[in-house]
Amino acid sequence: MTHQDYISDLVSVVFENLENQHDWTSLETHTHSSSGKISHPRPLISGFPPRRIYIHPDDQIEMIRNNTMGAAEQKSELEWVLPTNLNENVTLDFLSQVFDSMERPESLPEGRAKRLVLAVVHDDSTVVYYFVHDGIVKPRQN
Amino acid sequence: MASETPKLPIRISKVTDRYLLFDIDDVMYLRRNHNICSPFVGTMPQAPSQSVFMSLPIELMAEEATVLVEKGVAYIADDSVFHPSRIVSPDAASRNAYLQDLRRDGTRAAAAARELAEYKKANAASKGKGKKKDKKLDSGSAIDKDGPVSEEISLFDSSSTRETKPKAEPRAPDVWAVTPATSGALLTPPPEEDTSALLDVPAGYPLYAHLHENGYFMMPGLRFGCDYNVYPGDPLRFHSHFQATHYAWNEEISLLDLVTGGRLGTNVKKSYLIGGAIRSGNDKEEEADEKESHVKNKASSKTPVRAFSIEWAAM
Repeated sequence: MTHQDYISDLVSVVFENLENQHDWTSLETHTHSSSGKISHPRPLISGFPPRRIYIHPDDQIEMIRNNTMGAAEQKSELEWVLPTNLNENVTLDFLSQVFDSMERPESLPEGRAKRLVLAVVHDDSTVVYYFVHDGIVKPRQN
Repeated sequence: MASETPKLPIRISKVTDRYLLFDIDDVMYLRRNHNICSPFVGTMPQAPSQSVFMSLPIELMAEEATVLVEKGVAYIADDSVFHPSRIVSPDAASRNAYLQDLRRDGTRAAAAARELAEYKKANAASKGKGKKKDKKLDSGSAIDKDGPVSEEISLFDSSSTRETKPKAEPRAPDVWAVTPATSGALLTPPPEEDTSALLDVPAGYPLYAHLHENGYFMMPGLRFGCDYNVYPGDPLRFHSHFQATHYAWNEEISLLDLVTGGRLGTNVKKSYLIGGAIRSGNDKEEEADEKESHVKNKASSKTPVRAFSIEWAAM
């Protein structure tokens, strides 16, 4: 199996997992950044989860104060997913390249770091998801 | 005494590859001003047969020692060389200075003890007279004055019906014999030469320096399986936010490590932080002799660092 096939299979496994197991919508695979200038080191998947899956702790405090937590949770945000296989190794260099190839979402407030969802596929097609933030971002309070 | 700013630069004793601080003033100064809060490693003289509560000295991580030396706040002294050369046969002048210093400490200790005793007496007196508010005020302000204190207090004591300690305490001698915790004046002045050669800069230093510069407190990371526990403020006041592990720029990171770290971190309400010094693509060959290059580059604390925080996405 060529590397190309391997990557495209990996992407489709994650794509289908998001679509069918996690009910994400408007899923798309991207090989280049949305302006089309920079190519991603590996194809990324974008889509909307059924509910908002990440709230920055500062926003969370604000929402609890204003009692808007419930409404915010319903409003889904566009997420970017990087598919990987558990047997792979990544480097800081690779993660940097991925983040550098991503465009900064307009909805992201000033001073917040870009984020993506790291999807790790295991041989039995289990997929686990982790947030990766581009920088020092304090943890959520859950 | 404790509120004094210690003489800078602070002396870090290097004893068999460990970086130790023996002076409590230094320890407090570094904790307040430079985010350094290493663990105590010494035995407590009052409770020698336990290891839950430890005492001076504190042991600095090599990263902490490096960051302090680079900031010019501290210098490293190799104690096995330094002590014999300075202490075995001091010349008359430094010997005198040392004795003077001891005497000064003794005087200060005696004065402090006297002050404390007087303060306690005054307190006891004012408690005894608790119901008479006006008198209480008087005795409170009397602490500040030097002369009239003893008179007023004896006045209170005699009128007080409450039993007090026998006040026949002998007047403290003016100079106490103190056993200094450090070799005091013998250690100054610091050696002239650049002492940073004594530092073994660890590979994780760039990440450490980056976090330190951003105002974080770092503790050793063994408890959470990482290099550093990263606190957003003094660990006495905050839980840590991150478990940080450093990697070289092109070092292969097993995804299982990211999953493990991310999952553990999320379970203990932390983020798993990975990071390292940025290297441009050209100097890959440099990475081979990484150890050496770190030692050479240690002057450049502003090495650009990139870090990523990882959290479980709960899906």
